[in-house]
Amino acid sequence: MTWEEVAALGILALTAPAVPGIAVKTKSFLTGRRGAPVLQLYFDLWKLLRKGTVYSRTTTWVFRAAPIVVLASLIAAALFLPLDGRAAPVGFAGDLVAFAGLLALGRFALVLAGMDTGSSFEGMGASREVTIATFAEPTLFLCFIALVLATGDVSLGGMLGAPLAAAWPGAGASLSLVGVSLFVLLLAENSRTPVDDPATHLELTMIHEVIVLDHSGPDLALILYGSALKLALFGVLVVSVFVPRAALAGPVALAVLFGGLGAVAVAVGVVESVMARLRLSRVPQLLVGAAALALFGIILQLH
Amino acid sequence: MTLVAVGLLLIVLAGVAATALSRWPAAAAWVFRVLFGAGCVAGGIAALAVLAGTAVPDVRFGGAAPFGAWVFGLDPLAAVFLLAIVSVGAACGFYGLDYLARERGHRAVGAAHLLLALLVTALAVTVIARAAIPFLVGWEVMAVLAYLLVVHEHERRDVRRAGLIYLAVTHVGILLLFAVFATWAGETGDLSFDALAAHPAFVAGRGAMILVLALIAFGLKAGSVPFHFWLPEAHAAAPSHVSALMSGVVIKMGIYGLLRTLVLFGAPPPWWGWVVLALGACSGVLGVVWALAQHDIKRLLAFHSVENIGIILLGVGAGALGMAYGYPLIAVLGFAGAVLHTINHALFKSLLFLGAGAVIHATHTRDIDRFGGVARRMPATAAAFLVGSAAIVGLPPLNGFVSEWVIYQTLLRGGSAGGAIQLAGLGAMVLALIGALALACFAKVVGVMYLGEPRDIAAAGAREPAAGMIRPVVGLAAACIAIGLLPIAVVPAALRVGSVVAGIAPATAGPAAVAAGPATVFTAGLTAALLLAWAARAAVVRRRGHAEAATWACGYAAATPRMAYTASSFAAPLLGAFRSVAGVRTTRTAQAFATHPSDPVLERVVLPAWHGVRAAAMALRPMQRGGLQLYLLYVVLAVVALLFYLFATGRTL
Amino acid sequence: MRSPAQLILLLVVLSDLAVLGTTRLSSCIRVLAAQGLLLGLLPVLLAPHLTVHAVSLGLGTVVVKAVVLPWFLAWAIREAAVRREIEPLVGFIASQLLGALALALAFAIAARLPLPTPQQPLLVPVSLATLMIGFLVLTTRRKALTQVVGYLILENGIYLFGLTQTESVPFLIELGVLLAVFVGVFIMGIVVFHINREFDSLDSTRLTELSD
Repeated sequence: MTWEEVAALGILALTAPAVPGIAVKTKSFLTGRRGAPVLQLYFDLWKLLRKGTVYSRTTTWVFRAAPIVVLASLIAAALFLPLDGRAAPVGFAGDLVAFAGLLALGRFALVLAGMDTGSSFEGMGASREVTIATFAEPTLFLCFIALVLATGDVSLGGMLGAPLAAAWPGAGASLSLVGVSLFVLLLAENSRTPVDDPATHLELTMIHEVIVLDHSGPDLALILYGSALKLALFGVLVVSVFVPRAALAGPVALAVLFGGLGAVAVAVGVVESVMARLRLSRVPQLLVGAAALALFGIILQLH
Repeated sequence: MTLVAVGLLLIVLAGVAATALSRWPAAAAWVFRVLFGAGCVAGGIAALAVLAGTAVPDVRFGGAAPFGAWVFGLDPLAAVFLLAIVSVGAACGFYGLDYLARERGHRAVGAAHLLLALLVTALAVTVIARAAIPFLVGWEVMAVLAYLLVVHEHERRDVRRAGLIYLAVTHVGILLLFAVFATWAGETGDLSFDALAAHPAFVAGRGAMILVLALIAFGLKAGSVPFHFWLPEAHAAAPSHVSALMSGVVIKMGIYGLLRTLVLFGAPPPWWGWVVLALGACSGVLGVVWALAQHDIKRLLAFHSVENIGIILLGVGAGALGMAYGYPLIAVLGFAGAVLHTINHALFKSLLFLGAGAVIHATHTRDIDRFGGVARRMPATAAAFLVGSAAIVGLPPLNGFVSEWVIYQTLLRGGSAGGAIQLAGLGAMVLALIGALALACFAKVVGVMYLGEPRDIAAAGAREPAAGMIRPVVGLAAACIAIGLLPIAVVPAALRVGSVVAGIAPATAGPAAVAAGPATVFTAGLTAALLLAWAARAAVVRRRGHAEAATWACGYAAATPRMAYTASSFAAPLLGAFRSVAGVRTTRTAQAFATHPSDPVLERVVLPAWHGVRAAAMALRPMQRGGLQLYLLYVVLAVVALLFYLFATGRTL
Repeated sequence: MRSPAQLILLLVVLSDLAVLGTTRLSSCIRVLAAQGLLLGLLPVLLAPHLTVHAVSLGLGTVVVKAVVLPWFLAWAIREAAVRREIEPLVGFIASQLLGALALALAFAIAARLPLPTPQQPLLVPVSLATLMIGFLVLTTRRKALTQVVGYLILENGIYLFGLTQTESVPFLIELGVLLAVFVGVFIMGIVVFHINREFDSLDSTRLTELSD
């Protein structure tokens, strides 16, 4: 792990809360409002970190451990992504399994913390979260398989780095489909419209928001930061597939990455303004559609 | 080999002692623990020595015996299964002492311990056998002993039914095994494994027939779809430590048989690999979908065994495809992943069964929806069960992740190689689907059983069981954590076993073994980070203090435990998405709503077929009315028909 | 992206998958119109040099497939006052999976057919895929109007397949293709009208009530 990689990770960690802010700002702009400032999440995190914590008497150590597990797993997952477009800080053969496994670890901890409160609202959110994850995981792996086929590399550093840039001229159509599929996955895994509405506070319509109802104070700050970091990680995935940066110099590649992240946030905001939330039973269908796109990408490569 | 023999002798002695000293239970338990533990340790040391690279010569008994000499040996493949047998056997044996202690008055508890010890011995004999006859003897003894252990509570009708189904199915399997060995040895009559391995190339469809029969026979034992229908019945009816042993080890004998067949047969044709891969995919997905629908915790865990057998078969299938299409690295990785997952599943499935057994023991019910809040009343059992759940879902840094990572590697490498094997890459997507469904199911199980508030008086009265039931569970959890933390300790040994199965030199697996080092750095680093973060948080919270209140849940003031989400509601969206295969029947009236899970293969294929066969047999009963003249007529008719046959084919008498 | 024709063929496949996934009948018709537009551009792009023949074929296709037929279908929707498709006979998720399977099969079959390779290698697989997906929509949907859309997609697939064979073809074959489409829609229109009038709904599974 070189100093540049540590610096890149640090910048990603620092700017992650801005990504949802840009999405919210885009949404407000498109609906004619001024909206909250882009840095609103930073202010919220600062406020929450200084507050006290209230724990429910029903909960056990599982509830107290969940925010830490979520954050630690996301930071570990960030280590596998090549932020400068060439190589990742940590990598080994098959580390895409570790990436998916870390995301699953965070999800497992969060869902169990929700069930720990013994409330039916959190249980409902937990049930929906795992249902959507069941259709999101295979889609993610289909995208990974397409990338493995395109680059011939079974490590994320190679799948998103230099070999991907070499594969673009030949497999461009397939990679575009994979990128679109990853964008749909971003919307699903981060509970954005049309899968979930991050702005609503009606328990019956929430998924991610409702699981974390009982967290308070610094725990809630960790969880909110974790959600922003997860959105940023998926944004890095989408940008890496669409804009291979292996030919660019280090700082330029990073600048392109963060510009791309901003563009992804704007795209998320646009999608949220244009589409309404899907009926919950139609969300698996959306993900199967994304999987069909990724499968089409795989078929094009095998052809 | 002497170490193994000594170990097995000690285990048998332990069982005998448990029965002989049954009048003094404390002494019997102590003697059992010492002898059984020593025996398992001896077997474990021998197995580890072979896995580390020592070569052990075969031992022959009785050269002039009918059907050939009895040969025993320990190669790396047998060693890894022996290791699983002794470790899980020890845990279940020790657990069973306290689990059955309550029933000492009205049931033959000493006999149950003896049967368990003999079962472990039979399993070990099956694994170290290197000729067909000792293999089959060990197999049959294992099957019968398992049946006797399953029908422990034989006064219950469902237990008897489950035992009968199991007995029938396992004997169909052994009949097919007779056919396999008979066809294989052919005219030579030499049934030792060395002779079978050195066979000449098979003529006509004989090789294909051997492979198909072996797949069916070992698939019946392993519990792969569509041969799984006996598994949930038997594993739910047995006492918890027997279920743990069966799910952990006995069904793995099917996997051992498949791998041994591959070692002796050589490279199979590609269609066999595709069939195994497809069976693995179906078992994995269907097993976990059916598990989601279950209300009974033991049936749920049994269906998860079906799912994990599916994952293991994915590895075996990928390995077989690698052998068939000539990709040595894919073959080695596939078998290594399958073997590693076998051991890991033995560890965490027995952990889950023993943990569930402790809860059932404390609350006297098996219905998931009646539990709740058990974690605050049984903290050690709950923590160990959580470790087992995270392991079976395949989350880092535990052992399930390590074996699934190896199997993913083989499927992805298959996908990126050229030619027909690329279709195996889609197996990675199926494995991801299986993992996500397993996460959903175990989030449901842990969340509804251990977390929240007790939904029933039985759950509220749960207490931590005796230390003898906690120690094996914690030991298995520690083993899961250790393997997950240090992949570098187990992956090279698994690769060596994989090379043995694939029939190539161990050096080919180089690139894959190299990845185990960075993977260890990852798992160890993740664990260290989690522990550090937990310590930091504890320090911060202690300094600041915290308040306690009732669950907020958006200010709902009067929540009762009955309002908490039930297991059926949790699983309902997923079961709705998979309703065409889930086999869930819903009964709905104005006052009540109930869901009934069923096994589609059992209810719609096996039982109707059984009824059809029975009806046909009943139709033939008039032929056997017992009258002497009728039987004499049959004899005359048979002689006349034989004469006609001889005249027609022109042979002489 | 090697050529505009390849891009158009990819968009045709995406439009097929979109029809499988949508429930709103008006979206179905819009996608069908878009598909007609794409199909109209293809002869112009595939012809080695721009001829009056190719341009007129393209223009005619656009007019019929992208304007006339969708307008007719939209009129039928307004008359029948139906807006949404209900759960198909195999379920939405299953029909999408079947569509993906059809796509894979089309590519596998196209590689094995003894055809001379056209200058655009994606043309045969995409035509087979469109054909199969059209057939899938035709057989699994309940509303008669969606079945008409499926039939039209089937005809689009045949049209695409015809493009591989026709380098310099008499005008008659194009006319024959368009006439077949016209006749099919005409008949379907009559059938739809009669079903609607008889049953007050367009659920074709209720046709079984005709037999006593």
